[in-house]
Amino acid sequence: MAHAVISCLHANLAATEAVLSDIEQLGIDRITCLGDLVGYGPQPNEVVELIRARQIPSCQGCWDEDIIEGLNSCECSYPSQLAERRGQRAHHWTAAQLSEENKAFLASLPLSLRRDRLLFVHGSPNSQHEYLLPDMNAFAALERVEAAQADTLFCGHTHRPYVRELREGVIKLRLHRAVANPGPDIEREVDLPVRRIVNAGSVGEPRHGGTSATYVIHHEQDDSVEIREVPYDVERTCQAIVAAGLPPLFAWRLRHGFEYAERADDASHVCER
Amino acid sequence: MTRVLLISGPPGCGKTSWILNQLQAHRGPCGYLRLEGFTAAELQQAPDGGIDRAFLVDQCPGLLDLAEPGENPASRPQDLLALIELPQWQAPPEAGLAGIDPRLLPPLEALQLLPQRHLSFGRDAELPAQDTLQFNALEAWSLDLTHSVWDPPSLNSFWFELVNGAYGEVYRAKALMNLPDGRSFFFNWIVSQEGTQFLPLERVAPPVGRPQRMSRLVVQGKHLDAAGIEATIADGLLSDAVLELQQAPQRPFGAPLPATR
Amino acid sequence: MARWALLSGLRGDLTVYAAVQAELRRQRVDTLFVLGDLIGPEREANALLERLQQPRRGDLQPHCLYGWWEEQLLAERGFRGERRADALRQSGGEAAVAALLQAVDPVHMAWLASLQFGFVELDCALLHGSSADVGDSLTADTAPLQLLDRLTRMEANRLFTARSGEQFCVELCGGGIESRLRDLEGERQQHQSVPSRKVIGVGSGLHYTLYDPGSDHIAFRRAGGPIHATGRGFA
Repeated sequence: MAHAVISCLHANLAATEAVLSDIEQLGIDRITCLGDLVGYGPQPNEVVELIRARQIPSCQGCWDEDIIEGLNSCECSYPSQLAERRGQRAHHWTAAQLSEENKAFLASLPLSLRRDRLLFVHGSPNSQHEYLLPDMNAFAALERVEAAQADTLFCGHTHRPYVRELREGVIKLRLHRAVANPGPDIEREVDLPVRRIVNAGSVGEPRHGGTSATYVIHHEQDDSVEIREVPYDVERTCQAIVAAGLPPLFAWRLRHGFEYAERADDASHVCER
Repeated sequence: MTRVLLISGPPGCGKTSWILNQLQAHRGPCGYLRLEGFTAAELQQAPDGGIDRAFLVDQCPGLLDLAEPGENPASRPQDLLALIELPQWQAPPEAGLAGIDPRLLPPLEALQLLPQRHLSFGRDAELPAQDTLQFNALEAWSLDLTHSVWDPPSLNSFWFELVNGAYGEVYRAKALMNLPDGRSFFFNWIVSQEGTQFLPLERVAPPVGRPQRMSRLVVQGKHLDAAGIEATIADGLLSDAVLELQQAPQRPFGAPLPATR
Repeated sequence: MARWALLSGLRGDLTVYAAVQAELRRQRVDTLFVLGDLIGPEREANALLERLQQPRRGDLQPHCLYGWWEEQLLAERGFRGERRADALRQSGGEAAVAALLQAVDPVHMAWLASLQFGFVELDCALLHGSSADVGDSLTADTAPLQLLDRLTRMEANRLFTARSGEQFCVELCGGGIESRLRDLEGERQQHQSVPSRKVIGVGSGLHYTLYDPGSDHIAFRRAGGPIHATGRGFA
């Protein structure tokens, strides 16, 4: 059985349709979505309605949360004042466009989905805002998966697809306790478990250098993961961005394979709110 | 005796960099004058607005500003090296002094700065033959940014967008931009060269309010989206409150603000 | 040479604080860090809070952080936005919340609200819990991966923590991990070694810790106890 994982659709209908059609052509009927259905892109209602109509299980992304909670996005997650102002414009536009019914749907989404030892989240198990980047400290990355009691963690949010396997981990330590009669220091060697992080990339706002939408397929039979790239009609979305009155810069970025908004520099930043 | 050298060439060919090298290599006193040049058919001269001069004055302490109204030719040092920069779209019809646009001679004579030599980029082998682009039709646009201070990562994004064509086809962009830590950067970019030259000025402004020195952006290209550029700049400049927030930790402990003094 | 004293968990007990201060005077300590839990529901904390803010002559000036109990009080008094003392309410009920409110005169709230979450001194992070949360209770038995994560988040080589109340030192001294990454550009393998780092539990109340950042020497103490018996130092 194969299972498709999609993330970060960002109200890009052309990209979402292309990816769903690719999945259908491969004969896969199980799909999980890791959130950020809306934000930046020009068709928030259409994309949410498509996911609802297909009954695709989804968890909530940071944009989905912000749209329903009011502008709650952590300011420190924006890399610059410019990105923040543009993000806020996109937020207000999206909030005004989204129907109450679609907002209620986004509000109903869970923060994570679990299937046995597979865990599905938007950012990290800690927060929808935390970026698990491919070059993140390997021990910290392993800790995220291990603390969530999963074997494989599926995440999105970074918009760059990857599969990262962490293995042969070992930590040696020397332990000293202060008790009434302290014994000798204890030395221990702790073997770390083998774990995996799969980032599904982004359907609607790719950040891999090209313009194709990306997602992943998990082949359960041999536990392998395939990264898929799907070309779509980028121009259709760009025209819709400009027609909607969203910042034309968003269209320019999408057309050139740059992301709508840049990520925060501090990859492991966790919003304290 | 003063030596006067006129350097001409199209935008972005490296005139200012070459002049900086000459000034830094010269052991005696130096002077500098930038002429605005003439608009050729379809080709607007970029209003430099003093960026080059401000940059050179910063890099060469003691540089004599030959455009200064009170500057007295009689009091110039004996062995002055005077370099005159002239933006010029097309290579001059003739080499040497004969190639100087006759319209320039009366004002130069009035300043007692008639050139003894004329070197032109794209014509004289003595000059580096790097970027003498063939220009056909160009618009020029500039914005005074005096007193403006950037949010540094926003400036980074803006410059990336500008030189990668988000606001029209840009061939040349040049600027002096202020950062909240008091530094000012000289930005210099041309389409034919890889990467932007970013040079910090030597002089750093104190972290108290808005810097007084010159800050300006000059862009040359086609189909420029001036409104788009201005909108992005407005989103990337710091408000008084944010500027104060960033400057306060840089001041010696307890130093009162000018406003509360 | 610099020498730090680190304590926590005073929970309003001025007698304990006075005993520690008295002892520090004899131990050539030059910097005192109080890693939170200045207050607690057991007793009125006002006298202690006054002395922390206005040290007596001869006292080492304390550098204080807020801890879990201050966080509960600040939340309950509306200093944390919408949040209230939910964690305390859950663990101790309304009575504990009421007792905590009772223990601190509102006049001290502004000072408590001005306290920081942590200090970073040299390559050391000084926190009540951890970089993950003020209530993160690290002990000698905490999974080493978790300890390494908490150190990594702070980019510190030494993490001093107080939440568990235990005095311990876990030194991460070796090991590594393989990471295989596949993306659209291809596949890469990377080995990462365990950096040499320590997590130190500073203790609570009379149990405090001395640290010499120059030599990295740590000594666990108990105020009023024999100075050398439990204070066997180790590097």
